[in-house]
Amino acid sequence: MSWSRRLAVLLPWTVERDTGGTEPDPRFTFANERTFLAWSRTALALVVAGLAIVQLLPPFPGVPVGRHLLGLPLIALGAVLAVTAYTEWVRNQHALRRGEPMPRSVLPWILAATVTGIAIIAGVVLLISALR
Amino acid sequence: MTAQGAHDRPGDDRGAPDPGLARERTLLSWTRTAIAFGALGGTVLKTNVMTGLIILAIAPVVWQLGRVSRGHSARADLPAVGATRLFFITVSIVAVSLLCLAVAIFGKSAPGALR
Repeated sequence: MSWSRRLAVLLPWTVERDTGGTEPDPRFTFANERTFLAWSRTALALVVAGLAIVQLLPPFPGVPVGRHLLGLPLIALGAVLAVTAYTEWVRNQHALRRGEPMPRSVLPWILAATVTGIAIIAGVVLLISALR
Repeated sequence: MTAQGAHDRPGDDRGAPDPGLARERTLLSWTRTAIAFGALGGTVLKTNVMTGLIILAIAPVVWQLGRVSRGHSARADLPAVGATRLFFITVSIVAVSLLCLAVAIFGKSAPGALR
């Protein structure tokens, strides 16, 4: 499938016109929507955390870019999570309509990998600033 | 998954066959999302008033989107897919992230405000 076709499948009017399969159980549709909203709130929380680190934390002594090093990836991850959550919602809805197995989610992996990376960077920044 | 097979599937909705409860939980989820937008707007307001106000303005829109889709649905038992609403949330978060990136990079910081 080409990239333009993949993007077209994600557009809201394409999703709403999807008449394949049967109407899923409303509870599963609601649950899918709640999962999307939960990931959206996680994305917003990451943006808040990133902004708070850059704007409100005192600078790390000896590491002038330390706050930006920690905060900016978190804000960017917020945007990535939001887009990925939407694509997963579309895929889940597609699977629900057709009675197919639910696709595997990559969101927990992305979140865990990024948080681990940020934690390691934070440790290094703290260590450097403590040694100076 | 069809409605007929729903009772055979384990999950958080088991034992609660009334879709009204699921609708209630989803409505609460929309409310929490609106509050999250409000909290972010309040935080940004502390560093950049204009950006904070823009984000704060999204909060009531999100709250209303969650209510409208359920309250005025012609088929009350079945949720509208509502892809446009979710697409709006996604676009809003991406836009908010870009605004916050700009604020974080170019904005004047208030170091020590958490002390």
